[in-house]
Amino acid sequence: MKKTICAGLFAVLLATAAAQAQAPKGLGTEEFGMSPRELVQAIEKTEELIARCMREQGFQYIAADHNTVRAGMSADKRLPGLSEEEFVSRYGFGVSTFYTGLPPQLATGYSPARVGLGERNVQIFRKLSPADQVAYNRALLGDDVFSTLAVALETEDLSRTGGCTRKALTETFKPDQLKASHYNPQDALINKDPRMKAAIAYWQREMKKAGFEYGHSDEIEPDLRNRLIALTEGGKLLVSKMSQDQKAALRKLQDYERLVAVKSHKMHEEVLTPVEEKIQEELFSRKVQ
Amino acid sequence: MVAKRINILWAILGVVGGMALGAWYMGSRIQSPAEMAARTAAPEPSAILVPVESRLLSSDIVTRGTVRFGLPQPISIAPSTVKGGVGLISSLPRPNTNFGEGEVILSASGRPVFVLSGAAPAFRDMAPGTSGGDVRQLEEALARLGFDPGTIDGNYDQKTSGAVERMYKKAGWEPFAPTREQRAAVAALEREWSDAARAQLAAEATRETAVKAVAAARATAEQNTRQAALDSAARVGNGRQLADARAGKSLALEAERARAAHSATAASADVATQVADRALIVLDPRQTETARAAAEAKLKVARAAQRKAKLEADLAIQTAAREAGLADERIRVAEGAVKAARLEGERNVRAAQEQQTLAEFDVQVASERAGRLERELATARAKLGVQVPADEVVFIPSLPIRVHEVTAAVAANASGPVMSVTDNQLSIDSQLPLEAAPLVKPGMKVAIDEQALGIKATGVVETVANTPGTRGVDGYHFYLGVRVETTPVLLAGFSVRLTIPIETSKGAVTAVPTSAVSLAADGTSRVLVDGGGGQEYVTVQPGLSTGGYVEVSTPDGRLVPGQLVVVGYRTAEPAAGPAAVK
Repeated sequence: MKKTICAGLFAVLLATAAAQAQAPKGLGTEEFGMSPRELVQAIEKTEELIARCMREQGFQYIAADHNTVRAGMSADKRLPGLSEEEFVSRYGFGVSTFYTGLPPQLATGYSPARVGLGERNVQIFRKLSPADQVAYNRALLGDDVFSTLAVALETEDLSRTGGCTRKALTETFKPDQLKASHYNPQDALINKDPRMKAAIAYWQREMKKAGFEYGHSDEIEPDLRNRLIALTEGGKLLVSKMSQDQKAALRKLQDYERLVAVKSHKMHEEVLTPVEEKIQEELFSRKVQ
Repeated sequence: MVAKRINILWAILGVVGGMALGAWYMGSRIQSPAEMAARTAAPEPSAILVPVESRLLSSDIVTRGTVRFGLPQPISIAPSTVKGGVGLISSLPRPNTNFGEGEVILSASGRPVFVLSGAAPAFRDMAPGTSGGDVRQLEEALARLGFDPGTIDGNYDQKTSGAVERMYKKAGWEPFAPTREQRAAVAALEREWSDAARAQLAAEATRETAVKAVAAARATAEQNTRQAALDSAARVGNGRQLADARAGKSLALEAERARAAHSATAASADVATQVADRALIVLDPRQTETARAAAEAKLKVARAAQRKAKLEADLAIQTAAREAGLADERIRVAEGAVKAARLEGERNVRAAQEQQTLAEFDVQVASERAGRLERELATARAKLGVQVPADEVVFIPSLPIRVHEVTAAVAANASGPVMSVTDNQLSIDSQLPLEAAPLVKPGMKVAIDEQALGIKATGVVETVANTPGTRGVDGYHFYLGVRVETTPVLLAGFSVRLTIPIETSKGAVTAVPTSAVSLAADGTSRVLVDGGGGQEYVTVQPGLSTGGYVEVSTPDGRLVPGQLVVVGYRTAEPAAGPAAVK
């Protein structure tokens, strides 16, 4: 009898869980849980506000269209001729491995931030005097010159933004979305799934065996950025002006980034991605971009 | 029994639970028509009110610029000829150090390098006796520093020298005294001048001798000429005799000729008489043959006498002519002797005069050399005062200056470019878009601010380029130069925002947000004024519009600052909106 009662209660709970597993109404499949249309609107509005803010600061800024920003978002961990796996094996997450100390507009190689700013803005920046360039990036991006709109959207971390970008985002996004603690509701929903929990636990164990202690793969890149910022005086120290000790520390961080990126990427592809895709299919009936 | 009761209890609990769940579900799903109406009804709009303001409206051009001091200009140290060689730098200033006029900017081999204001660079040593524009610059600088250099005339005189000495001593340095080489040069000049003076005296003595020699030669020549004349006179007689002889020889000759002519005439007359007599006898038949023959003979005699007289006259004339010729010869010889004596005397005089000319030329050369050496000596003696070597002063067009970059190093040669400096005037390099450039004119006020640090300064437009693409800006912008007038801190190197008001309302005016003004059906502009109890439209005359505000005026003064005007209507938030976009 007791077994019957327990079975009945379990059935009730399962039904409740199944009901909860349905995606909430209005939750989109793009960054920050936005729908594709909402993301385009958010990008366009933010860029317009950034351009207006920069104009008020005396700088010329051409509002980038959403395709440019999306190109910057898509450029993350992508280089022509390299698959994502090859990219990760060579450059890790591209955080410290491409660090030069130069602002993104002056980067000549891999730079999603530069792509997301748009070529016209890059050219405008390059014609400025060094002092104006510093002021331009401070006005546009604040302290973290690599947290452009495209990068912030791609990493879903708006907390590192500053300057006019931050000001525009404040008018476009909700306050809780601007916080570092904000978590994509879609990801939160997936992470709440017992299958995902089990997969993450497995991922944690395997990573720990390899010598990396992280709670989730999303924690790795912010950790690398923080380490890089600590090492490079806020990301403004030119590699050419680094001391030998600083250069050695940077090389060590780059090696660490490659190792942790390869391991994490492998584990992500093997363990987390299949479960994530399965849950997404159940929630959204499609794979999330 | 107990188990049965427990089962019943479970069943009741199950039924109750099921009913509760069902009631909760139904309650969440079932809505009354009133609720449905309330939920779907349009929310009550509420007016968004803003106060009418009294504010200064300004239409601005906003751009950015980088603050800098004046354009860097190199400082070069000119080589000094009064020093043995180039000194070694012993102290250098640090970048950003400021220097005013009269301060020592660096030192080399224990000597200072003063910085003074002047347009032309120092290019030579300045010492007593020198003059020119550089000396004038020096004098003007000394006067500005309070060291009286006397008359500012571009001449380095003793007063200038004294002022320079005071400037050095006030700065804690010893003035530059005459060098050993300069003193030795003066001593050598003194010796040369002494030799030249002696040579001049010797030449003058030679000239005096030559003058006397000329006089002696003249006297000798005169005496010789006179002696020759005397000798000639003695040979032909004295001078008068000579003249008389010359005249006399002609008279004798003429006398002989006259006598010859007379004899010839007499002979001719006798012949003619005899001819006539013969004719009378011949023609007279009465005459005898003898008479005829006698007449013939007389005629022949007469003719012979005529021929004789003629021959004797010719002989006498020839004799007289020969005598006259001899006298001429003697006169010519005497005259030649006199002339020879005169020529000899003249030659001797000329030779003496040439000697005198040479002596005078020697005197002139010696005098000129002595005079030149005397002047050089005076100049050299005058230069022995305090002087300013070329490598101990740099002239800068505008002071004070600020060291921009030091290119030389301590212990390097103190010659050529050693550093670059800028003036202390802060300027801003900026640019204007093509459409904004025509609106900005030199002299316009500029508000300068650095927002991150909260620094506010003021400036004035100094330059607006005539063509785009100059002075480092791209072809789609015009260069804009702004001079900083007042600033709480030195902004050099900062990127600042420049706000240039191009149109202002000239004082505070009544203004409302642009969105408060609407167009009435009759084409007039109006604002909706909230009066607490109700709202009413007030017709306004819009003016300058900028920064989201528009100047408004009402002919009857119905709109005053503080009144509330409607700029829009607030509606309730929809129940379910977009996830992120506000």
